[in-house]
Amino acid sequence: MDHLSRLENKSIYIIREAYYQFKDIAMLWSVGKDSTTLLWLCRKAFFGHIPFPIIHIDTSYKFPEMYQFRDERAKEWNLNLLIGRNEEKLKEGMGPGQGSKLDCCNELKTNALKGIIKKYRLKAILLGIRRDEHGIRAKERYFSPRDSQFKWDYENQPAELWDQYQSTVEEEEHFRIHPILHFTEFDVWSYVQREELPIVPLYFSKNGERFRSIGCVPCCSPIDSKAQTIDEIVEEIRVSKTSERSGRAQDKENIYTMQKLRALGYM
Amino acid sequence: MKLFSKKKKKALIIGIDGVPYSLLSTYVKNDIMPNLKKILSQGFTLHQMNASIPDISSVSWTSFNTGVNPGEHGIYGFTGLKPNSYSLYFPNSKDIQTPTFWEILGKTNQKASTLSQKYYSKIGRPYRSIIFNVPHTYPALPMNGILVSGFVAIDLRKATFPESAYPYLHSINYLIDVEAEKAKDDKVAFMKNLFECFEIRKKAISHFFEEDSWDLFFACITETDRLHHFFYDASKDEKNPYYESFIRFYMELDKFIKILYDGFAKISQENGFFMILSDHGFAPIKQEVYINSFLKEKGFLVLKEEGEFYEKIGDQTKAFNLDPCRIYIHDKGAYPRGKVRREERTEVLREIQQVLQTLKGENGEEVIDKIYKKEEIYHGPHTGSAPDLVCLPKDGYDLKGTLEKKEIFGQNIFTGMHTWHDAFCILPSKIHLLGKQSIEHQIDYVLQYFAQ
Repeated sequence: MDHLSRLENKSIYIIREAYYQFKDIAMLWSVGKDSTTLLWLCRKAFFGHIPFPIIHIDTSYKFPEMYQFRDERAKEWNLNLLIGRNEEKLKEGMGPGQGSKLDCCNELKTNALKGIIKKYRLKAILLGIRRDEHGIRAKERYFSPRDSQFKWDYENQPAELWDQYQSTVEEEEHFRIHPILHFTEFDVWSYVQREELPIVPLYFSKNGERFRSIGCVPCCSPIDSKAQTIDEIVEEIRVSKTSERSGRAQDKENIYTMQKLRALGYM
Repeated sequence: MKLFSKKKKKALIIGIDGVPYSLLSTYVKNDIMPNLKKILSQGFTLHQMNASIPDISSVSWTSFNTGVNPGEHGIYGFTGLKPNSYSLYFPNSKDIQTPTFWEILGKTNQKASTLSQKYYSKIGRPYRSIIFNVPHTYPALPMNGILVSGFVAIDLRKATFPESAYPYLHSINYLIDVEAEKAKDDKVAFMKNLFECFEIRKKAISHFFEEDSWDLFFACITETDRLHHFFYDASKDEKNPYYESFIRFYMELDKFIKILYDGFAKISQENGFFMILSDHGFAPIKQEVYINSFLKEKGFLVLKEEGEFYEKIGDQTKAFNLDPCRIYIHDKGAYPRGKVRREERTEVLREIQQVLQTLKGENGEEVIDKIYKKEEIYHGPHTGSAPDLVCLPKDGYDLKGTLEKKEIFGQNIFTGMHTWHDAFCILPSKIHLLGKQSIEHQIDYVLQYFAQ
């Protein structure tokens, strides 16, 4: 079996295991390349019809291309799409221009997700995160318990040896399940290439620039690139030495540092 | 002449963040700190000392730790901009360009400095240090001994070297810092949090002090700085609702100094080296002064609508300020939208100096006390990255680097501000100081002690 098929098999095994354990489960779809890959794997796992809802957390600041892509795919693939929005804060005008980026992310992403988890009483969520994305994600497990405040006690996690996953959950907690944790950025693009997966056009080069990672408009900046096709992107990633999220706003440790400095008036 | 005898060497340094000479001498005189008073009568002298410029903990402690000025160690504040960009950057321990004294003493330094050169052949065997809660030592880098980083440490694991020191800290639910974020919602709870944090700090310090073999022990108390930021108005005002708590904090601090001092006297057989110091002073705030708003008003700074923090700097900008008052010229070539050409620099600098001197506060008081050009105060290979102008304010006017204010003067929840001229050090009385010293000169005494 080739490398990509091995990755695919492992992911499908985890997705099916997760659905077997939790019937109150949903998948988080950001419309980016990773979660679209995960969505594709979910479809494969259940032969085209996904038996659980797909959640899109809508901050209202996403790229128009992303909304279009979302709605087209949802129709084409017959998805049970749930949209999570923090309407209360959006009405108050919360946005990247208001207050800090940390507050904005916290309200429009984290609290919107908390709201939807509570509303649908979800016990588990499938996410398309990958180990190679960020230092802290290297510590992730495939089955990762969170408490009601979304706190992740990464020092107290069950071991996951020989594909034995601890997938039972205490009350008031939910599980995050990461079926594509073992994919690298390069694997994802190679898989997109092999499967001929549709992808948001923002990833392709326009006027010498393309997005390597997408999210909300104000917090993403493009990288210099001439890659206009999937093949060219795969080649570019293969030789690239810069970090994937280099076009993204501050990483977490910086955000905390900023918070600490602000609390003492140093910023 | 040798100042110190040649017996077994042990040193204890206590750092107390943000304690002013003036306040400490008052509290010693008024018997709020009777134990310190007693120590001072046993061969120690309290001196007033200058902090680093700017008088910010990360810069001042780094100057103490490395024994050199910012032009050599390369740290100028809690914030900086990435090269040729407007993105914020938070310098950490890895950005320090010179060895710390524990690296020099432990013979683990991989870099060199004027200080390490001086002691290169004089330190006999490697000495083992315990460095506890010292600001700007995060992430904890490998060294000879144990290091637990202080402010701004985020992840306790990364703040601890070696890893074997971590389980103990974890087991006592060690806190790196108070949650200053909470002070604005609930000052009473914050005060309580300060005492809790101090308790856990004392517990951890005592643990390492007693249990581990060391040649040098250096621990910092940082709660004092937080106490002063939020409650400095209570320091001398008996009617202030927080006066009692403020005094109680100093009394507990006094008791803790005694515990460490007595413990040290026992193990060093009265032959050790003992010192206490702060990294800057404090004074009551009259007003905060938003230097960037002033630069805007005078036409030096033009901000765009879009972008976060310094990304807002527009192409018409000639200069901008980073906290507290580090003014950088928006040089062509150095910044993406820089416009000031080389030949214009001197003139722009002169204009800014001139307008800053006109800045007047309440009742027409002068706000700016001193303005320095970088070459006047910094020297060393990293002077290039220094701010072009640095200002020190008159006490009461807290200079700020924020870009978010429209007005020039304002108030915040803080009641105390840092001062440059009023830090302190307590040194053995046999060391005679010639005039007032700066924090970066202090570590020389410790190294001299170990070198002799």
